[in-house]
Parts: sequence; structure tokens; C-alpha cells
Amino acid sequence: MYKSWKVLQPYLLATPQTLIFLMFLVFPILMIFVVSFWQFNGYAMTPAFTFENYVNIFSSQVSLATYLNTFKYVTLVWGLCVAIALPVSYYLAFCIKRESIRVLLFLLCTIPFWTSNIIRMISWIPLLGREGLVNQALLNLNLVQQPVEWLLYSDFAIVLGMVHLYNFFMIAPVFNSMMRIDRTLITAARDMGASGFEVLKEIILPLTAPGMAIGSIFVVTLTMGEYVTVRLMGGGQAASIGKLISTQIGSLQYPLAAANAVILLLFTLVMVTGILRVVDIQKEL
Amino acid sequence: MPKFTRRRLLQTGLATGAALATARCGTPNNPAPGPEVNTNSIKDVTLRFIGTGVAQINDIRDKAQEDLGFKIELKALSTEENNQIAITQPGQYDMFDGEYFSLPLVIPSGNLQAIDVKRIKSFDKIASFFTTGDFNGLPVETAQGTAPIKVMYLSDQNSSEFSATPTDWATLIPFQYNADTLGYRPDLVDKEITSWADLFDPAFNGKTSILDIPSIGIMDAALVVEAAGLMTFGDKGNMTREEIDQITEILIEKKREGQFRAFWKTFDESVNLMSSGEVVLQSMWSPAVTAVKAQGIECVYAPLKEGYRAWGGGIGMSAALEGAKLDAAYAYMDWLLDGWVGAFLGRQGYYSAVPENAKKFMSAEEWDFWYEGKPAAVDMVDPFGKTLEKAGAVRDGGSFEERMGNVVVWNSTMDEQVYLVQKWNEFIAA
Amino acid sequence: MIKLLLTAFFALFVLFLYGPMLAIFTLSLQGPDGALTFPVRSFGFYWLGQVFQEQRVGSFVESFQRSLWLGLAVVAIAIIVSVMASMAFRARFKGSLALFYLTISSLVVPGVLISLGIGITFQVLDIQTNWFSSGLGAHLTWTVPFAFLIMLGVFNRFNPYYEEAARDLGAGEVRTFQEVVLPLILPSLIGIALLGFTLSYDEFIRTSLVSGQYNTLPLEIFGMTTNVTSPALYALGTLTTLFSVTMIAVGFGAYKSLSRQ
Repeated sequence: MYKSWKVLQPYLLATPQTLIFLMFLVFPILMIFVVSFWQFNGYAMTPAFTFENYVNIFSSQVSLATYLNTFKYVTLVWGLCVAIALPVSYYLAFCIKRESIRVLLFLLCTIPFWTSNIIRMISWIPLLGREGLVNQALLNLNLVQQPVEWLLYSDFAIVLGMVHLYNFFMIAPVFNSMMRIDRTLITAARDMGASGFEVLKEIILPLTAPGMAIGSIFVVTLTMGEYVTVRLMGGGQAASIGKLISTQIGSLQYPLAAANAVILLLFTLVMVTGILRVVDIQKEL
Repeated sequence: MPKFTRRRLLQTGLATGAALATARCGTPNNPAPGPEVNTNSIKDVTLRFIGTGVAQINDIRDKAQEDLGFKIELKALSTEENNQIAITQPGQYDMFDGEYFSLPLVIPSGNLQAIDVKRIKSFDKIASFFTTGDFNGLPVETAQGTAPIKVMYLSDQNSSEFSATPTDWATLIPFQYNADTLGYRPDLVDKEITSWADLFDPAFNGKTSILDIPSIGIMDAALVVEAAGLMTFGDKGNMTREEIDQITEILIEKKREGQFRAFWKTFDESVNLMSSGEVVLQSMWSPAVTAVKAQGIECVYAPLKEGYRAWGGGIGMSAALEGAKLDAAYAYMDWLLDGWVGAFLGRQGYYSAVPENAKKFMSAEEWDFWYEGKPAAVDMVDPFGKTLEKAGAVRDGGSFEERMGNVVVWNSTMDEQVYLVQKWNEFIAA
Repeated sequence: MIKLLLTAFFALFVLFLYGPMLAIFTLSLQGPDGALTFPVRSFGFYWLGQVFQEQRVGSFVESFQRSLWLGLAVVAIAIIVSVMASMAFRARFKGSLALFYLTISSLVVPGVLISLGIGITFQVLDIQTNWFSSGLGAHLTWTVPFAFLIMLGVFNRFNPYYEEAARDLGAGEVRTFQEVVLPLILPSLIGIALLGFTLSYDEFIRTSLVSGQYNTLPLEIFGMTTNVTSPALYALGTLTTLFSVTMIAVGFGAYKSLSRQ
């Protein structure tokens, strides 16, 4: 009796979580897959088995351009997040000696993350607009004669907005990896005459790679399906797959949206699997 | 005229109620029935009302609850979400405040029930271009696009076929509507805007905007390209595939040239674009212009020589309504046409379906300004207490008849709707 | 020298993080004549008060309550479910790897798919979407993985001797969990609760198609960005930020005092 309970126990314990994912993750995605083969008119979708939606996507110049544009955002946002996360985490992990100050500064970096994303995004508008603070400052300093227009409603604004929103997802794991680096390793390397740059290259970067990989997974997946920032910061003019899907949903073209979602999912999974080759997540917990 | 509310009217009892109602609203061929609703059960009713931000205003709800005695829940949505919910989530609303152009998509879904016009007290007083299609022989009678009269009536109570001629079964009861045109900032635009073609004027490169709702945006765009002599249409309200291809090509080219600053989806986005100076000339809705003015910024709603693009909003009833809820829905529609709301929305520049009822709740000066096109005798104040116009100002475009009479297109759902949306999305994404 | 550069970089980064928020804090502290853009016309608390008044359209207060309840429910479920699952992972069992990757993929799948998928599912099955049913489910796909991964990490470093000792002393499973395991993981649970609450409280994309008839706070705010043209919006930003900071402070305090015990 006790023996069989012991064997059953893990299964019972794991059941609720499995059920949640089956209900709200696996089943819905299967539905998306099914619906992506359905037909639709202006107001309803009808069960069918047609490749028309996929043909539509792959034959359209615009959807191709949209995918490329999304990859552009992903690459830029990812690159900038890494470029910010490395020095910031390095500064926190190695330049700050007092533990309490380190915690304080780290908290400082996290607080904006706890506030509403939408609010954080719209808060750029009074800064970057044509009559915004930045432009007023530039005009007053006589650096420009005309207000700079590409600050808002542009690719620049979109990337800026996303980096602002998602950099925390890169900083946290990178910082975590750096904190775990054994300090004696660095001291030893120094004793053996390694330069600061060599220490960085041979010890710190390789040991930070898993953190960067985890951060990259977050940043890449968050940016791939993003449409709110693209809409608000892009002034409705810019395109991304997420926005394309949401526009298609808005005009009730669910099957087309579903087909796009399937392709988006495939791309995301390919990227994530690529990143996972670099790092064993289970080891990193 | 004594001030009485409909609730008091209901409470006063059947006899007086009927008498008053007949006196106010009865017409010879449509004798107003007494308040047949049971006041007790109707009080327990909660009506869920969805619509765009235009009329989902808490002040209106509060007044309605006070007058009618039952509860109303509002949900403000964008035009797109509104249609989306109307079609795909029938369980989420009891009443739908939607635009006529959405009907070719909403009616086939079977989510709305036909409205018995005999039960609508002020039906015969509704502006005639909704109910008969006529309007003093003015251009609006032949306007292109999904004109309300084309989708106003169903051939039978249980039919989902539109009837070309009036029947007793209506799809929506008209509520508020307007003639839309281009708005601009006279302080930042140094000429008078007189034509839709000005939207493509290179002088405004990077400072214009257009709205990103296919059925509406395409009509503005059509007026613009036609006025600019870039292309012609057989019927702007029902374009062919070739026409859709051609117009999107022109739009994409203009977008690449950097003509547009942004696209907007809800009227307040357009307000923010305009008042922050991001955009100086754009297609706009009338209350958006008033909202910009309410912030103390000059904004003109240009009367254009080609005419206006109109939209019409109305109230539909969910197919699921029955019993006390159905009675409450009819009571609510009567209340909406009764004039208080018409006056409330009128003070922001919308027109009421029954202008003569709205008139009762407006001051003579307000009526003259908003409907008659006369110079304001006193300062015009919006329902939220902001002064919109100083005494002496004249409404852009003139009187009700001049504005609504010169409508040349309505927002449209075309036969090629699916294709249009696809091409429109390509334009937005290009 | 390098340290100086890094300090400067860090300072710039903090400015980048907080700059826009400071802008809206400033703009929310205006008098009734305030506008959405600079310059500040007058100083006052008018718009902060306006948040609690009835808005022209919609309501912040009700949607805040919904988000609060939803966040608490999400946190409660996420904690229970993830603690159970991570306890299961301490033993080997068939399918554990599958469940692990299922959890990871829940993090990785773009939010718009969750929203669309649950939306379509409910529509096809003809069930009404609601913030406390489909909305809750959507939030769980985002919060449970975080909770679970943190708990896996906690149990990885967990010393099983304490439990064995308790069992040797004759404590049953439940009692061992209550008196030994729970106190030890409690600080982590508070961390999960804080993180989970924020993730849920701020969630937009996953909720957007499945919240049903009533909006959660982020959806309401998004509606407001297109329906409100006054600094009340910024005032709301200021207040929600203060609310979040208070939550962190309380949570952090609790974490500190608990981990000291």
C-alpha cells in the first residue's frame, strides 16, 4: 500500500500543473493549428482543409517584408539588451564591493519593471514628441533648427521602447550568472599574470554565457510576438508579425491570423532550440 | 414645459403615463402604447451595452439609470473590437451600439434580433435619410457606400435579408451620426484647406494622418485620390479588385514618400496627435475637433468642396434578449431618442437621430449654433463644462442640412471586403 | 578608469530607465489646466484625485479590483501547483522531462498565440470568455513556469536531511511538509508571490482577447490611452507605480524578516 503510494505520488503531484498546460497551452495551440486550415469570409470561419491561408502568406511580398522587419527588431533589441546587460551586471557584480549597496542598486534596476508596461510606453511620448522635452532641449541648444521627427513614431522609438521594457529580462539572468562566478578563479588568473581583458574573455564571458542564453530566450520570445509597443511607439505605421496577427484578428480573419501564428511559433521554436544548444537550463536553476 | 423624467413618468401610473406619452410622442398612425413594462421586474434588469467611446460615457449611463430605474453596464471599445465582439461573442452584450457599415457582417451572424419599429415611439421623427432615404433632394440621397437606408430594414422579423424598401423590422435604431471631413490646425497650416486632395499636399509631408479602419479609411483615401486626380472609381462604395489594387498602390507610394506621420484607430488618438502637434492635417471625427478645441488649441473642421464622408451609428438588440430584458431594451432605446442624450452628444458636435427631440433639451442658442449653423450668441460649453467656442463663432460647414445634405459617401462594407482588408493591411504594414 | 566609465554607464542606464517615468510623474502633478505635453502649466494634485472620480469613459477603480483579485488568484494557484510539481521532480518519474519542456515552452510561446488560441478555443466550444476563467488560464501559462523554475532551483539546493530527521522522529508526510519544508521554502514563496503578482497584474498581450466582458487594469489603461486625453492617465501611472513600489517594499521586508529566522 505504502509502496504504491510512493510510486504514484510524483504523478499525482505533477498532475495539476500538467492539466493547466494541457488546457491553456497545448489544446489552444492545437486549435490554432486546426483553424489555420479553415476558410473564412467577412464574419465567420468554416471548418475546412485548405492551404490557402499559408499560400496567401508565402506569396505576399508584404508578409515577407513584415517577417524581415520583425527579425530586424528582434536582432536590434537583443543586441542592445546584451550591450546594456553586460556592463551593468559587471558593474554590479564586480565593481560594487558592499553587498547591501549591490542589492539596493539591483533593486533600482528592477523597480520600473514592476510598473505597468503600457504606462511606461506612453511615458515616452511627452519626451520624444515633436513638441517633447528632447526636441525642446535640442532646439534651445541650437543643435537643430527643426524638431527631430524620427524620435517618435519610428523604428527608433519602437526599438527604444522594447529595450526599455525588456532589458530587465536580460540583466537578471546575466547578473545571476556573474554573481555565481567563483571569485578565487579571477584572483588565480590575475596571479598568473592575466590582463583584465583576458580575464573578461577567458573567464567571465564564458561563465556568463548561460545567463546570456536564458536572457536571450526571454528577449527573443517577448519581442517576436510583440504588437503593443509596435503600435504605440510606431504610430500605427510600422509592421511586425505580432501586429499583423492582431490586425487580422481585429478584422475577423482568424484563420489567416492562425496561419501566421503557426509560422511565428515555428520561427520562435527554431530560435529557442538554437539557444538551448548553448545552455542546459536544468543545470542553471 | 414641465421637467419630468421618464422614470417619474413610469411611476406616475398607467393612465397619466399613457396620456403624457401620447401627448409627447404619439403620432396618428403610431399611437404610443402605455408603459406596458412592469416597473418591478424591469428594475432587476441589467443591460450590458457595448459601443465605441462616443456614447459609452458614464454621465449618460448615470442619467439613464436614474430615469429608467434599471442598471446599465457600459463597455467602451474601438470600432474594430466592437464589431468583433458583436459578431463573435454574442453572449457578452445585450445591446450593441454599432455603425451601419458593420451590418453586412453582423446581420448574417444572427446575433441581433429585428427591432419592431412600431414599439419605437419616436421612430417617425427620425431623420429621413435613415428611414426613407430621402433628404430634400440633396446629394446625400445618392451617396455611395453602405448608406444606412440600404441596411436599415429586414424583409421580415426572422429574416437576415436586407429590404430595399421600409418594413416594420429594423436592424438598428439610429442614434448618432455625423458628416466627417479633414481637420487641421490653422496655426500650423498656412492655407485654407478646401479639398480632400490637400491631404496629399507635399507641403504637409510627414504631418498628416489617416485612420486605420479599413471600411472608413478606404473611403477617405478614395475621396483624396479622386480629388487629387490620381484615379477614378466606378463606385467608391463598392470597389472592384482592380480599383482596390490601384488605390493601395497609390497609398503605399505616399507612405513611402513619408506623407503620413501616424495612423489612428480611435477618435482620441486623433485628438492626441493633433493637440500634441504631431499631425497638422488629418481625417478626423467631429467631436475630436471639439476635444482639441476644448484644450484651447485652434482646430478647423474643413468644409470640402467634394463633400463629406458620413457615418451612422445605431442601437441593435441581441438575439438573446427576451421578457423583461427585452422590454428594458425598448425602454432604453426610447430614452436614447427622447432628447436628453441627443442634446448631450449634440453639445460635442454629433447629430441626434431625432433632432426635434434633442432641441427640447438644448438652449435656443445651442440649437442655433450646432444645428442651424448660426453664429454662437453665447459661449458654447461642452457637457463636461469646457468652453468650446466663444460667442460669435460659426460651426464649420454650416447648418445640419448643409452638412448632412452634402454627404457623398458613407463608411462602407464592400462585396470585396475580405480582399480590401487584406490589401489595407498591406498598406498599413508596407 | 574603467570603473569610472562603468559607473557613468550605469548612471546613464538608470536615467534611461527612470527618465520617462519622471516625465509622467511631473506631468501628473498638475493643476486642472494641465495637458498631456510639456510645459507644465501649474502644480497641483488635481489629476491624482481625478483617478478616483468617475471617468468620462470606463473606470480605473473597478478594473483595478479585478486585476487585484485575478493577481491574487493567479499567485495562489501558481504557488500550490508549482510546489506540488517541483516536489514531484525530486523523485524520478516517467514523463518528467516532457513536463519540464512543456513548462519551458509555455514561457517561450509568444503571448499572442496564447491569447488567440484560448480565444478561438472558447469561441469554437461556445463558452464565454471571462477574466476569471479564460483570463486566469492565460495568466497561469505565464506565471506557473516562473514559479515552477524557481521552485526547482530551491529544491535543488534543499537539504533532504531535515525531512529525513523529521520522519525519523515519527512525523507524517503532511506534518513534515508543514513543519519542516514549508518554513524553509517560505521566503522563496514570497518571492514567487511578488513576481507572479506583478507578471499577472501587468499582463496585457495574453489577456487581450480572453478577458471577456470586463477589462483588467492593463486593458483598461490601454483603452484609456485611446479614450482619455487628460493627465489623469499619467496620474494613474504615478499611482500604480507607487502601488507597485509599496508591494515590493512590503514583500521585500517580509522576505528579509523570514529569511533571518
